[in-house]
Amino acid sequence: MRYRTGRAVTIAVGMAFGASIGLASAASLNLVAHNLTPYRTCTVTATPVATISVIDAGVRQANATSNFGNVTSLDIASGNGANRRTYLRFDLTNCVPAIPASAIVRLATLRLYLTAVPAVCRTIDLFPVTSSWTELGITWNNQPFGTSINNPPTASRTGSFDVGTPVGCQNRTTGAYVVGGTITSDVASFVTGGASNFGWMLRDDVEGSATTRTVTISSKQLGTIAQAPQLVVTYVAVP
Amino acid sequence: MWRRLIGLLLVSVCWAVMAAAVSLAVSPKSTGARTVSTPRCTSAGLSVLQNLSAGTVISVTVSGLPAACGGATLQLTVNNGVANSSGSATVPGAGGSVIVTLGTPVAVTFAEQTDLVLVGP
Repeated sequence: MRYRTGRAVTIAVGMAFGASIGLASAASLNLVAHNLTPYRTCTVTATPVATISVIDAGVRQANATSNFGNVTSLDIASGNGANRRTYLRFDLTNCVPAIPASAIVRLATLRLYLTAVPAVCRTIDLFPVTSSWTELGITWNNQPFGTSINNPPTASRTGSFDVGTPVGCQNRTTGAYVVGGTITSDVASFVTGGASNFGWMLRDDVEGSATTRTVTISSKQLGTIAQAPQLVVTYVAVP
Repeated sequence: MWRRLIGLLLVSVCWAVMAAAVSLAVSPKSTGARTVSTPRCTSAGLSVLQNLSAGTVISVTVSGLPAACGGATLQLTVNNGVANSSGSATVPGAGGSVIVTLGTPVAVTFAEQTDLVLVGP
């Protein structure tokens, strides 16, 4: 009887030990299979007012030698001798950590806060600028794309969005950021070094309208963070 | 009695083996480490937009999520270079968009970094 009791104790200790090993192994390994989808985003915001990392300015055909780099709102307008364009540049080198040249840019979006929309639906085109300009020096007469209206041609735009109050127009109301300002291919070129970042020019798709049509956005100089222009770049870092 | 002693001896040996295993130095080479492609539910461009309040980011809206990511856990961290905050949310079964509320608001600066990862489904 004593012998049997002793054997039972030995077996019980062995089983407990074995079980403890199994539990310890399971707890320490903690191997669970998951699908992982990583993304990284850099959001560049035009703030504070004094920053030179984001610059924005307007140019006006009717005031061809005047600079509108220190105004609180910017216009994109189509009119007979009254066309207005907006220039914006975001310095991506301030993203921390820096966006690696090998990164795959999945989406880049320009966010502009609407404060006035026209009564008809207008298409606003985005063109990557190909030479340098300054916030307080640019005018209609010295702008990188020259003074000819409807230039550069629509075919060379890299993005566009529609603005206007009619039902069905993409962006109908003021007090909100525009939807559709996608410029992924441009930012991808900036990141890889395939193109230099001189920002974008925004113009009405058809300048020279008989009736002036104006889209207005908040500028950096307004100083309101919730309305500041933004560039949002979503990318995947490739090792 | 002998069997009891043998049993205790076996237990001691097991402990010794365990102790030895714990002290082993395992190099990646000896474990056969290799590069493994991680399955992903999407490679699409996700829209990641900050929701602001009083100059701070209080939440982030992630949209453009396909149905393949439905049920995944979206973990997200916003870092402004000075402070950071995280949050997570579950992607709806049909995909679409999800709002991730941050644990604490993060002040908007010139540039914020948002890291997000979809875990699963």
